Amino acid sequence: MRTMLKIENLTATVGEDDDAKTIINGLTLDVPKGEVHAIMGPNGAGKSTLSYVLTGRDGYEVTGGSATLNGEDILDMDPEERAAKGLFLSFQYPVEIPGVPVMTFVRAAMNSQRKARGEDEISAPDFIKQSREIGKALKLDAEMLKRSLNVGFSGGEKKRLEIYQMMMLEPNFLILDETDSGLDIDALKTVADGVNAMRSPDRGMLVITHYQRLLDHIQPDKVHVLSKGRIVATGGPELAHRLEKEGYEGILGEVA
Amino acid sequence: MTTALRDMIANPTTAELDLVARYGMQPADSRRERLFEAFSRTGLPHRRLEAWKWTDFKVALQGLDRPSTPPAQDPIPHAGALVFRFSSNGYFPPDHIPDGLNVFEKDEAQALGAAEDVPLGALAASLSGGKARPATLLLEVTSKELPRLHFQFSGEGEANFARVVVVVRSDMALTVSESHLGGAGLTSSVIEFGLQKGSTVNRAVYQRGTSEETIASTALVHLDADSHYTQTSLAFGAKVARLETRVTHQEPSAKATLNAAYLVGKDLHADFTTHVRHGANSCVTRQLTKGAVLNGGTGVFQGKFFVPRTAGQYTDADMQHKALLLEDGAVVFAKPELEIYADDVECAHGNTSGALDDDQLFYMRQRGLPEKTARALLTQAFVAEAFAEAGALEEVLRAEAEAWLAAV
Repeated sequence: MRTMLKIENLTATVGEDDDAKTIINGLTLDVPKGEVHAIMGPNGAGKSTLSYVLTGRDGYEVTGGSATLNGEDILDMDPEERAAKGLFLSFQYPVEIPGVPVMTFVRAAMNSQRKARGEDEISAPDFIKQSREIGKALKLDAEMLKRSLNVGFSGGEKKRLEIYQMMMLEPNFLILDETDSGLDIDALKTVADGVNAMRSPDRGMLVITHYQRLLDHIQPDKVHVLSKGRIVATGGPELAHRLEKEGYEGILGEVA
Repeated sequence: MTTALRDMIANPTTAELDLVARYGMQPADSRRERLFEAFSRTGLPHRRLEAWKWTDFKVALQGLDRPSTPPAQDPIPHAGALVFRFSSNGYFPPDHIPDGLNVFEKDEAQALGAAEDVPLGALAASLSGGKARPATLLLEVTSKELPRLHFQFSGEGEANFARVVVVVRSDMALTVSESHLGGAGLTSSVIEFGLQKGSTVNRAVYQRGTSEETIASTALVHLDADSHYTQTSLAFGAKVARLETRVTHQEPSAKATLNAAYLVGKDLHADFTTHVRHGANSCVTRQLTKGAVLNGGTGVFQGKFFVPRTAGQYTDADMQHKALLLEDGAVVFAKPELEIYADDVECAHGNTSGALDDDQLFYMRQRGLPEKTARALLTQAFVAEAFAEAGALEEVLRAEAEAWLAAV
């Protein structure tokens, strides 16, 4: 079975009880192993909601359909269980965590995941060696990795730190939520290099983006257009170029 | 005399009558009488007094009883320190007193400034003494290189009282720690610090008790020019525990740093109360209090900066109190106050209380940390900020906080 992430007719709401709004509305999507799929869509289409529903954030309720990762239903799992299964979300807005140093956090996360999978903890020397290599590749200052997570970091530094965590944790399915936002060209290239280094026949990726710019650096196998909570168009990389040229209105007018 | 004092306390409780009897057993001493009088004006302080509205010793301490459990273990290292231990049944000074420290064990009570403002301090000062201990332990520091002084208040009975005065001579330095470990129905200690010109004191305070103990620690701090006083406290509470610090900047350019953390579980109550008087120009105060409270626990923060019109010019003072309500049913009361009459000052304060941040929790869980671990890590980091100035004892305080959080 090559399919890794399989989403079928998914519907989900945001908000409580009477105020609940349906944001994901009958979404179906397959991402096979080894492929990179992009999801593009206008503001309010449900892009970030999709990433939160898949990773299990509180406040998002699945009201129908299914989502499986490697054949396992993920929707009933806690966020940390999904993480241990290899699901990783690179946040659009990485959260600041004062008083918790980057390396302390990542090592705790790594060992929690390993424990959940019944694996041995990583030794301190192995962890430090791996951290040093990845930090170097991402042009992250060693001092930065000792500072509190994301506190006082620039937008670009925060995004690079997301990629650092991704490379350290070696997840098997990545969701990148607007990873290009807030990045200048050089930072974008560094981040994209990191993501491309993660491409592998055993790993799937979902790249959520508003603009086509990121896809010049991370070549997708498929591009999906999300509108009003469902996939309304699917194509190859050329679809992203068409969107850039014609705008969402052009494409959405055509499918509607 | 005793009868007259008894009459001063309105509707005395069994505990208050017991305290009057204990006073009657002390040797006659006019200063002691004055101190007990100051206590008797209020009796055990209670909720009808503004400064005690959230911490009521009168209700908490109906009678003086010996707790059913021994005092808490002392986590502050004794090795390498000069340990003065105050128990219900004795006073145990260190075997050897090095040069640079002069120790005076006074049989007479010493006057206490502002005795009416600190009724439990006045009580401690009036009931310290008799056969078991000096009425006042007076210490004079004439060195910069003394080992750390450690005061341990660890009872084995119904009540435990102590009075200590520490004078730090000009340009000298002292590191001091205190453990308030309960072990008695009522433990009350009062310690005064006089910091002469250019001297420094770094004080760490640890408090732990049970729901059968009441604990009061009163500190009065007088700062001369260019002196620097740093205080770091960690309180776990008791049936009621009050850690009160009153600082007077009495000469220019003194600095006080007052940091504290309270971690309060079910049926426990911890109160940090501070009063800082900027009675001289160009003095600095930095205050940070962090709290974390579980269901059934109560945390209290009362902070006041008082800046008089002429004396307090160029004051630079900042007061921050931040509390985490870790569970439903946790209670935090906070009253930050700035009373400022001088016109050229920088005074700020901040006061927040709430739950852990959902965004932070989700982020950490998404990376694989179980919710419990994520909560503990966030709370540890939140609290640990209060220990940053504790020097060599920072790690001890942090480890105690972590152990408590890990057990939550």
